[in-house]
Amino acid sequence: MTIPQAAYKVLEAIVGPDYISQDPIDCEAHTPGPNGFETDLGVATILKSPGCVIFPSTTEEVQKIVKTCNRYKVPFIPISTQWWSGRGAAKVEDALMIDLKRMDQCDIDDKHMFAVVGSGLIYSQLQEEAMKRGLYTTIPGGGSQVGVVANHILYGSSPLNYRTCIANRRILGVEWVLPDGEILRLGSCALDKDDYLWGEGIGPDLRGMIRGFSPGWMGSMGIVTKMSVKLVPFQPDKPMPVGISPDTAVELPLKRINWYNFILPSKDALVKAMYEIANAEIGAGLTKVPLFWRAIAKANNKEEFWELWDQESEETVAAMNVLRVLLIGFTSEKQLEYEERVLQDIIVKDLGGKQTRTKPTDESWVKNADSASMWMMCGGYTSLEFDFEAISHAVAKGVDCSKLKKGYTPPLMKAYGDQGWFQVGDYGHLALFEFLTYQDPDDEQKHKVDEWSVALSKMNIENRYYTAQLASHKPLFLTGPAYGPDYHKWMIRFKEEFDPDALSNPPGPADTDLFIQEAEWMQKVKDWPAPKIEANKNPKFE
Amino acid sequence: MPEEYVKFDLTDMKNFEYDMKRCVRCKGCKWVDHIYMPGATYSTRCPSEKRYLFDSFSAWGRLRLALSLLNGRIEFNDRFVEAIYKCQLCGACDAGCKRNLDLEIGSALESLRIKCVADGFGPMPEHKAIAEKIEKEHNVFGGPADNRDKWAKGIQTDDKAEFVYFVGCYGSYKMQGIPKATANILKATGQSFKIMGSDEYCCGYPLYSTGQIEKAKKAAQHNIDTIAKSGAKTVITACAECYKTLKVDYPKMFNKSTSDMGYQVIHLVEFVADQMEKGTIKFKNNIDMRVTYHDACNLARMSEPWVYWEGKRKLYGITEPTAPRRKGTHGVYHQPRNILKAIPGIDYVDMIRIRENAWCCGAGGGVAEAFPEFAQWSAEERLEEVDEVGAAALITACPRCKDNFSKAINASGDNIKVMDIAEMINEAIK
Amino acid sequence: MDLKNELQKIVGAGNVLDSPEILEEYSTDNGIYPPGMPTVVVKAGKSEDVAKVINLANKNSTPVIPVSSGVHFQGCTIPYQGGIVLDLSNLNKILEIDPPNRRVRIEPGVTWGQITDELAKENIRVISPLLPHADRSVITDYLEREAPVVPKYEFAEPLMTYEIVWPNGEVFRTGSASVPGYPDSPAKGTNPAGPGLDFYRLPQGAQGTMGVINWANLKLEYLPKINKIFFMPFEDINAAIEPIYKIPRVHIGQEFFLLNHVDLALILAKQWPDDYDRLSDILPSWTLILTISGPPRRPEERIEYEKEALFDLKKQYFQDMPILEALPGVPGGGRELIHMLRKPWPKEEVYWKNRLSGACQSLFFIARPEDAPSFYEKVVDEAPKYGYPLEDLGVYLQPIEQSRVCHLEFNMFYDPDDPIEREKIRIMNRELAQDLLDMGAIFTRPYGDLADMVYEKATSYTTALKRVKKMFDPNNIMNPGRLCF
Repeated sequence: MTIPQAAYKVLEAIVGPDYISQDPIDCEAHTPGPNGFETDLGVATILKSPGCVIFPSTTEEVQKIVKTCNRYKVPFIPISTQWWSGRGAAKVEDALMIDLKRMDQCDIDDKHMFAVVGSGLIYSQLQEEAMKRGLYTTIPGGGSQVGVVANHILYGSSPLNYRTCIANRRILGVEWVLPDGEILRLGSCALDKDDYLWGEGIGPDLRGMIRGFSPGWMGSMGIVTKMSVKLVPFQPDKPMPVGISPDTAVELPLKRINWYNFILPSKDALVKAMYEIANAEIGAGLTKVPLFWRAIAKANNKEEFWELWDQESEETVAAMNVLRVLLIGFTSEKQLEYEERVLQDIIVKDLGGKQTRTKPTDESWVKNADSASMWMMCGGYTSLEFDFEAISHAVAKGVDCSKLKKGYTPPLMKAYGDQGWFQVGDYGHLALFEFLTYQDPDDEQKHKVDEWSVALSKMNIENRYYTAQLASHKPLFLTGPAYGPDYHKWMIRFKEEFDPDALSNPPGPADTDLFIQEAEWMQKVKDWPAPKIEANKNPKFE
Repeated sequence: MPEEYVKFDLTDMKNFEYDMKRCVRCKGCKWVDHIYMPGATYSTRCPSEKRYLFDSFSAWGRLRLALSLLNGRIEFNDRFVEAIYKCQLCGACDAGCKRNLDLEIGSALESLRIKCVADGFGPMPEHKAIAEKIEKEHNVFGGPADNRDKWAKGIQTDDKAEFVYFVGCYGSYKMQGIPKATANILKATGQSFKIMGSDEYCCGYPLYSTGQIEKAKKAAQHNIDTIAKSGAKTVITACAECYKTLKVDYPKMFNKSTSDMGYQVIHLVEFVADQMEKGTIKFKNNIDMRVTYHDACNLARMSEPWVYWEGKRKLYGITEPTAPRRKGTHGVYHQPRNILKAIPGIDYVDMIRIRENAWCCGAGGGVAEAFPEFAQWSAEERLEEVDEVGAAALITACPRCKDNFSKAINASGDNIKVMDIAEMINEAIK
Repeated sequence: MDLKNELQKIVGAGNVLDSPEILEEYSTDNGIYPPGMPTVVVKAGKSEDVAKVINLANKNSTPVIPVSSGVHFQGCTIPYQGGIVLDLSNLNKILEIDPPNRRVRIEPGVTWGQITDELAKENIRVISPLLPHADRSVITDYLEREAPVVPKYEFAEPLMTYEIVWPNGEVFRTGSASVPGYPDSPAKGTNPAGPGLDFYRLPQGAQGTMGVINWANLKLEYLPKINKIFFMPFEDINAAIEPIYKIPRVHIGQEFFLLNHVDLALILAKQWPDDYDRLSDILPSWTLILTISGPPRRPEERIEYEKEALFDLKKQYFQDMPILEALPGVPGGGRELIHMLRKPWPKEEVYWKNRLSGACQSLFFIARPEDAPSFYEKVVDEAPKYGYPLEDLGVYLQPIEQSRVCHLEFNMFYDPDDPIEREKIRIMNRELAQDLLDMGAIFTRPYGDLADMVYEKATSYTTALKRVKKMFDPNNIMNPGRLCF
C-alpha cells in the first residue's frame, strides 16, 4: 500500500523528509471516517487509505508534486481541511494525499475589498482578519472551520448571502495547478500573476470550470492553490467575543447590528414576509429555521435535546413559523432604525406577525457557524438535499421532501413533518433550501439512508426541482442526463480534456456511481442506465 | 445502534469506542473557538498537530488510530508510539470538541496510552527512567526522598492544621522559591498548614499521563492514605499538575468521583482569590510591570471535578443515566487574573489565546522528558504570543510551565521574565 | 443541396438573405474596423432554428456569426471569414415577467428600448449600463459584461440563467434552469450556479464565440419612484478618488459614476450643437453624479438617512467637494438626468456617443479607482501625439460593486466617413491600449486589435481557453477569428 518508491524519492526531495510519509500509521490517520460528512453513509465503503501523505508549502511545490504524479502515474487527492470527509478520501489504492494545510496565506487588500487566501485558511480566520478592517465574508453552513478556497469552489451558503450572493460568485483571481501540473491563472492574475484584483475573463470566463460536479471537483480537477475572494463592507463596530466554551458568542453592537425573531401566523405569511422584506431591500439575513435547531440551541447535551424534541408533534412543528431577520446599519445607526420600522410595517402591521425576544449576541453566522453540532443529536448527519432557487421553489420542495422522508423514517430521525430550512439569498432573487438528514450511523436499517438519497434524486427529476447536487450523494448517471440536459457529458468531457489519465482524485465525478455499482443493497433501487465505473479511470458516457 | 453498557473506566479502550467512532473531523480540537478566533495567526490550540502536521499527531487522527487498533486494522509500532507520546495531553482538544459534541477525547487518548503500556509498547524510555526514580525516591528527579522538605527549613507548619500543603516535586527539589512564597502567603493570611514531608510522594502525574497506570495508582494510593491519615480536609497546592492529578486523576484511576475522595483540592490562586474577597490579604507593594498570565492546562480547562459514570448507551448515543461531561467551562480562569489585576502597578494584559483556548507551555504529558525539543518549540510559540501583547513578564501557576518557559528563554536569549504567581503574590504582599 | 437551400428549409426562404445590399449591411458596424462580407444572412424566427442552423454549419464547417442587436461598436459581428450571419433580432419576445421573484426571461433580440417600458408598467427594471442604445440587445450588453450604472449591489451580475446552443449544436440550459421541463417547473431559473460546472460565465465576454443564447433570465429590481440627484463638480480628477471609494461602500445611493465635461455635455445637450458647445465650456472638468432613491417602503425616510450619511462623509473625508442638487448654468440644473438614467438613450436622437463626430471608439478596462488619474494622465500625454484634440476626449468612470474596482472608459470621437481619421483612431486605440496594458490596465474583454496583445500577456489562460473552446466548438465555426480563437 505505497506509491512507487522512485516517485517517493522525488517527492521527498521536493518537500523535504519532514513533510512526507508513507508510514502505514500516518496513512491510516489520514483516512477519514468512520464518521463525518458523508462518511457515515454507504459511500464510505469505497474509501481507501492513502499510500502516502505529503505537505507542500508553495504552489511551485504543488506543481512539482503533480508533475511527479503524472510522470509515475500516481493518483493524487488534494485536501485542505478534509471537512467533506467522504470526498476527502481516496477511492483507489496507493494514492498520494496532498494535504494543503501549510498553505494558509491571507493577504487582504482593504481598499479593494478582497483577500488572497491559500487553501489551508479557514473561514473564522478570514472573518476575523476581514472584520479588523471593517469588511466581512459570509460564514457558511459548512462551518467556520471549513477551508475558504474549497468552500468558495463549492457554494458557500449562509444566511448572510442575503445581500452578498453565494460565495462561489465571489471568486476573483485563481491560481490553479491543473491535473497535468500546468498552472492556470484566472482573472486579472492571468495578466499579471501577482494582481488578484479581478475575476473576469480574459474574454470567456473560465471560473465556472472550478465548480466541478456541484460541491466543487472535490480534488478531481487538480488543485487550487490560491484564490482571491471578495470581501464586502461591514459596519464599523466590531462584534466582540464573550463567554466561556461552550457558551461563547459575539456581542453585537446593537445600534448597528441585531437579530430579530418574529412568529408569523402561517407559513404563507412567513413566505410573503420574505418576499416583501427582500423587495424593500432591507436586511442582511433572512432565514426560517427548523424547529429542532431551537432544541439544539437550548440543549446542553443530546439527552436534553431528545427530552425537548420528544415533546414536539406534527402540530407544534407546523405552527412554528419563526422568521429570523438580521439587520445591519451599514450606512449609519439611522439605517438600522429605518429598517426596523419597515420590518414592523411588513411583519406586524401587514402580516399580523409578532416579535419575540432575541439575544443581544450572535452564536452563529456573524463569526461562527457550528456545523459540528449537527452530529450532536443522532451521531450521523448529512445534508442530502440542498439548492438555491426561488423562494417559492424552496417552499414547494420542502413539502415534497417532507412527504418522501416519512417512508425512510426510521432510520431517519423523526422530524414531525418539518419542511426544511430555507433562507433568502441575493436580495430575494433566490433562497437556499436545505433538507437535513439525521440518523444513527450504527442503525441496522442505515442502508435506507442511501436509498433515501437516490429517492430524493428521483423526486427532483420527476417534480422538476432544482438540486445543487449533481453528483455529490447523487449518481451522476441518474442526474446528469436529466439536468441541462446531459450535464454529465460536459463533466466527463472536461475531465477527459484536462485529466485523461484520471490521476486527480478518480473516479470523480462518478464516486457515488461507483458506490452504487459496488453496494449490493443499492441494486434494488438502481433502475437507470449507467456504464461500468472503474475506480481508476474516467467515466465514459458513450 | 445496539444498546451497550459502558463506563468511564480508562483501562479498557472499548469504553471510548463510541467517542472514537463519532469524531467527525470538525477539528474543534485544532482550532481556537471560532468565536474567539484571533485571525490568521495564533489560530490553533494543539501543539502536536501544528508541530508535526500529520493527522497521526492530531486528536482526530489518534482517535482513528485507536479505533483501527481496536478493530485490528493496525498494530502498535514505533511510529504509532511516537505519535501517541508526542502530545502534551493538554486537554485543548477535549475542551474544543465539547464546544459542539459530547465526545470524551481526553479520556480516549489517556486510555490509548494505558493500552500502549499494557501491551508493552509504551511508555518512552525517558518515562520509564522517571518511573524508576519515582519508585526509588518518590520524586521525578531521583533526589533523596528525605530532602523533600528541605525547602521548609525554618518555616512554621502546624500538624493540626486543616490544610495540608502538597508541594510537588518541582517545588520541593528544583524551584524552592515557589513553596517558600506559598508558605509566606499562607502565613500572611493567618492560614495554618502542614506538609507531608518525605511522606509526600510524587503525585504520579508523570506516571499516569504516560499510561503507567499501575505505578501511578501506587503513588496515588500512598498519597491518598497519607492525606487521610493527616486528618486534613483540604489539600492546597501551588502546582497545577499536582492539583489536577489529586483532584481529577486520582478518582479517575480508582473509578471514583472527585467528591468521593474525602478531601478537597484547592490551588493557591483559589485560596488567595477567596482571601481577597474576605479582605484578609493586602497587596501593598507596587509592581510596575506589564504582565500576562499563562493558563496552565491542568489548572484551567482540565481541572473540573471528575465524575465517574457507568450506564447504557442507546440509540443515537443517548446515555442513561445522562453521562456527565467536563467541558472546561469551570476551570480556574478568573482567580489568577483577578489577583494580578489587583496588584498595584501591574498593567495586566491577556494573551491572544486564553482560558480554554490557551496554548500549552509544551511540557505536559511526558513531552518535556521524552521530546525536549518539541516542548521547547511549544514554549517558544507561547512566548511569541507574550511578545505580541507586549508583556514584560509571563506569570504562571505551575512550576512545570515556569520551568519549560525558562528553558526556552535561556535558549533563545529572550528577555521575558517568567514568574510563578506565588512569587508575584509574595512580592506584592511584602 | 447547397447551404442556402438547407438554410431555407430551416427558417423559410424569406429569412435567408444574400442580396449584395443586405450582405453589405451586415459586413460592417459602427466602429473602426474594416468590413468583412458574410456569405449569407439568416434571420431566426424561433429559437429552435438556432440549433438547426448551427448543426448545419458544423456539417459544412461554415462560420456562424450571431447578431442580436441593431447596433454594434466593437467589430465583433463583422464576418471576416464569411459564413452565416445568424440574425436574432426577430427573437424578441419577453417570455416571462415574474415580479415576485424579480426576474424577467427574454429572447436575445429584446432591446433596451423594448424592455424598459414594459417593465416600468410593473414598477420594476433591469439595471442598465450607462444610457445604452435603445436598439441594443439587453442580453448582449450583459453577455459582454457592460458595467451596470448602479454600483450599490454587492455583486454586479444581472444575468442569471439561459438556454444556449453550444457551438457543437447541443442545446443546454444553465444553472437552475437546467431542471427537466423548464420553464414548466417549480424552478424559476434564478440561480446561475451549478448543478455541476458553472456555465453562465463561459459565454460572457466571448463575443459570440461560445454559442448562441436562446433566452436568458435577468434580475429585476424595483423602479424607484422618489429620487434625488447630486452633482459633485471639481477640476482635478484626483479629488474624485475619496468620494468614489467612500460613498458606495456605506450603501449610499443608486446610480453613481464620474464623467468628464465632454461626456456629460454630450449627454445633457438638448439642442445640438449649441447646447453642447455651451455646456462643454461651462461644465466643470469632472462631475460625480449620484442618485439617492427611495425603495417601495418609506422612501422618503430612506432618502433622508442616506443623504445625511452622505454629508457626514463629506465632512469627514472630502470637505472641499461641493455636493449640489443642481448643476449651475445647466437648464433644469441637469436634474432630468435622473430620468434619463432609467431609460435607454432616446431612439429618435443620435446616440450620445455619436453626437460629436458621428462615431466613437471607446477604450475601456477594469482598474483600481485610485489608479484612474495615472491612466488619465497617460492618455492626456499620448493623445496629442496622434493629433487627437484633448478637448474632445470623453472620460467615464463607473464604480463597480461598491467601488472594489471601476470600469474606466476613454471615448474618442471621430468621423466614420473619413477613412484617414478612422485609421488614426484605430492606431491610437491600439497603441494607447498597449501603454495602458503595460501600466496594469485589466482588459477583460479585448475587442479587435486588443485581443492579440492581451492574450499574448496571458499565455496560460490562452492555452486553457483554446482547449475549452475546442471541446465546445470542435470545428471552430462560431465567430472564428475573434479573441484567441
